[in-house]
Amino acid sequence: MLEKQYLWRIYWRLAGVIMMSVVLALAVVSYFSHRVFERELVPETEQKAATVGNSVRALLLKATSFGVPFESLYGVDQTFKGVIEENKEFDYAALTDATGKVLFKYGKEPAGASDFFRRPEVLATLQGERPPWKGFRNGGQYFVSLPVASDKPLGILHVAIAPEFVNNVLLEVLLDVVVVLVVSLFFTLELLNFMAGARLASGLGEFAHQVERMRTGDFTATARMRANDEIGRLLRRIDAAVDHINVRYEFLVGELEDKLRKASGARREALKPAVAALESIKSRFRFGSAAKEGDGDEMNLNRIRAPLFAFILAEEMTRSYLPTYVNNLLVPIPGLSPQVVIGLPIMLFMLIVALGQPYLGGWSERIGRRKAMLIGAAVATIGFAGTAVAFNLYDLLLWRSLCAVGYAMVFVAAQGYVLDRTGQANRAQGFALFIGAIMVATVCGPSIGGILADNLGYRASFGVSAIISLLSIFAIARLPGAEVRTAVSQRPARGPRMREIVALVLNRRFMTLTGLAAMPAKMILTGVCFYLVPLYIVSIGNTTAMAGRMLMVYAVMMVVIVPLAANLSDASMRRDRYVSMGLILSGLSGMLLLLSESFLVVFGVVFLLGLGQSMSIAAQSALVSEHCKEEIRVYGHDAVYGVYRLLERLGNALGPLLASLLVVVWGYQGAFVAISGVVLVCGLLFTIATRGQEPVPEPVSP
Amino acid sequence: MGTIRFRFIMVALVVSFFAIGMAAFLNYFKYKSTISNIVKSRVLLVGQGIEGSVQASLQLGMQFAELSQLPQLLQRERQSDRLIRGIDVFDTNGQILYSTDRARVGQKASDSWLDAAQHAKAIEWATEEPDEFVAGLSVKNAFNLTVGYLALRYSREDVERATGVAGREILLAALGAFAVIAVLAPIALILVIRRFERDLSTLDAAASHLEDRAQPQPVTEGSGFEAAISSLRGSLSEANKSLDDLRARLDAAG
Repeated sequence: MLEKQYLWRIYWRLAGVIMMSVVLALAVVSYFSHRVFERELVPETEQKAATVGNSVRALLLKATSFGVPFESLYGVDQTFKGVIEENKEFDYAALTDATGKVLFKYGKEPAGASDFFRRPEVLATLQGERPPWKGFRNGGQYFVSLPVASDKPLGILHVAIAPEFVNNVLLEVLLDVVVVLVVSLFFTLELLNFMAGARLASGLGEFAHQVERMRTGDFTATARMRANDEIGRLLRRIDAAVDHINVRYEFLVGELEDKLRKASGARREALKPAVAALESIKSRFRFGSAAKEGDGDEMNLNRIRAPLFAFILAEEMTRSYLPTYVNNLLVPIPGLSPQVVIGLPIMLFMLIVALGQPYLGGWSERIGRRKAMLIGAAVATIGFAGTAVAFNLYDLLLWRSLCAVGYAMVFVAAQGYVLDRTGQANRAQGFALFIGAIMVATVCGPSIGGILADNLGYRASFGVSAIISLLSIFAIARLPGAEVRTAVSQRPARGPRMREIVALVLNRRFMTLTGLAAMPAKMILTGVCFYLVPLYIVSIGNTTAMAGRMLMVYAVMMVVIVPLAANLSDASMRRDRYVSMGLILSGLSGMLLLLSESFLVVFGVVFLLGLGQSMSIAAQSALVSEHCKEEIRVYGHDAVYGVYRLLERLGNALGPLLASLLVVVWGYQGAFVAISGVVLVCGLLFTIATRGQEPVPEPVSP
Repeated sequence: MGTIRFRFIMVALVVSFFAIGMAAFLNYFKYKSTISNIVKSRVLLVGQGIEGSVQASLQLGMQFAELSQLPQLLQRERQSDRLIRGIDVFDTNGQILYSTDRARVGQKASDSWLDAAQHAKAIEWATEEPDEFVAGLSVKNAFNLTVGYLALRYSREDVERATGVAGREILLAALGAFAVIAVLAPIALILVIRRFERDLSTLDAAASHLEDRAQPQPVTEGSGFEAAISSLRGSLSEANKSLDDLRARLDAAG
């Protein structure tokens, strides 16, 4: 695979250059923003310090008016303590007498403060026409100084603005900027693939294919349209060389046939060496026109990636703030706790996707993948727009249902599109592309969504999702309209039948894997990541952007660890161990909340959950065919995998419901611990149930 | 400019535009929220003083609707900060009992005020009107029961002017950064993809002489394509040799 490695080397170099450019640009923007912040925020903070100072000064004057000596005021340092603790912009306050001698102070004294208080220009604020306050800069420190005077000058009240105040404000932005950098890296790779790579890969693939054909003596001419770029020109040159050699061959064959037709006797004998040479050529080379190949599909396959990425991104962006948005639109539903009501839209979404997917496969096949995707994206766009303007929870449920229907339609149709354009040889590659687009959207979506929700508000952020979903419609419209069916995909798709579902649900082997591994894994994913984390993070005073960053950690873990774990589990042939380890790690994740309530611990929860899920996710799917051979023989591969996927997705729907019920009973921390406990028990039971089973190599199912 | 080079440069520009746009957006909104919070907390400091006085009066057993000194206090506090446009005190039904603007006394406070005050999770609340911001505090009696609310109206214009200035400067910085990147990134990219372009042009040159019978064009070593080009040449040469042989035999046959 020379061209793939070669391309990836180029990709990473280009991505490196682009990322360096982006870092440079972000540094420039941050530098100038810092200057603006410092210039504009400091005067406003001085105003605030003056207001605080005024209030303190009034107290001081009130006390002195009762005859308390200025030097012996009681509780001044306590007042200063209150001021500093309530206003994070200030780090020091002091009261000096008229000579600049410090009488009372609180906070860490800035370097050179004592000298500053005695400076003539500072003491001058007490003399003549006293200003209500004056701002000074002493080194890197800003001071607001207020003269305290009754009928005579008494002293000066100084409030110091923390020099790192502006830096701290920018530091808060920095975390989001880092998120932007990570997202930019993924965008870069995605765009490199979309704008250049897909065509380049296809062109270089075609070049390698042509080299191989000619090496084996195949000089048949292909009638392909070549792209108008460097690779296209190269391929046209090769096509020309092949055409020329074909013309030469045809000419020589024609000449020989002509001579043979006209020749007789000795002349015919003389032509025998030429005939023998032609036979030799025919045995070693193939000339003429190539059979029409149904490809160009590598290119078309790649074209699904951009619309799928855009569409999934629109939905993923809502993950970090949807529960908080629902919380704002909450209406009391008799008999249902608010926590359960908040989980309803997520649960409904997952349920619709779970129940819809098995049946939408056949539908998208009938009406065409592209058309199904267009309808799905249009329905979801209406759903997003409706969610953005939702009046209350009831209509929100309707809009989110439309999003779910659209999501299921696009997901299934895109999956079908890949299936249609891949054979056994490149099925895994096709699905890697499909899953890749989803994973990149999962990394970028929640973090960007959280940032948008924090700054623009929830409704506007749903509006952004609607716009991105709308853009995906334009990208889908550019997909080839003609339907393609490979031998494998020609078999009509169908959802699992009720008797198959019942039989498999009652099957011990099948349910060991599905009930103890697949369903709990999905339950903890949606329960923790989609419900508990966004709500808990906001409830402890953090922002939705922080919730988005947390979810990004999960997605990055999946992107990094899943391929590694899949390779290791395939190589070791002990997939059950990977599933066990993954479940146990996931089950331990929520237990961390027993240690502390800090958001750093939530970070640990998400990290561990991501690690656990990525260890088990690939192995789980492969274990179905390994553990359920008998069931596959009886019910068929499609039925077994269909029921497996259906139950797994029902686990998705159960997650938010279970989490919300646990919140009602034990609160957020209790819910984290309890849902993890359930998964931990399932993991242990799965380990016991699969102990001692010898691994049998089985092909991995898509 | 090669098509591939153009596409790569477009990728760099699109990604840089996204990143710079997001950074500018984040900085702008951070500035906006920071300055809004500073101003709001400054206004609320004034409010806390008033609320303290009202609390003291209530603890002395005075009725909330009969605080005769409150209007003067409100006037004094309003004048203490040029940003404050007016101060109102209203009861839990939304009726304004005291105000720096006499005409407002007896009128009903905006529904949005009452809604924001009643739904606030802390003692402080805030809302926005088309031309002014409102920050307020709940007034509680000794039994911790809310008896009314204090609202401080302050200039939206001042806050938005400051935000507008910062926004313009951040936008200019972002546009400047993008302009610099629009120049630097293509240069850097050209340097990086030069090797790839050289490979492609060598390949193109070699491909344009595929059918030459003379000494073939040398292919740059390590280009990643030399084996492929050699294979192409070899295949074509072998086929041509076979056809030459056929030609020679045909000629020999006369």
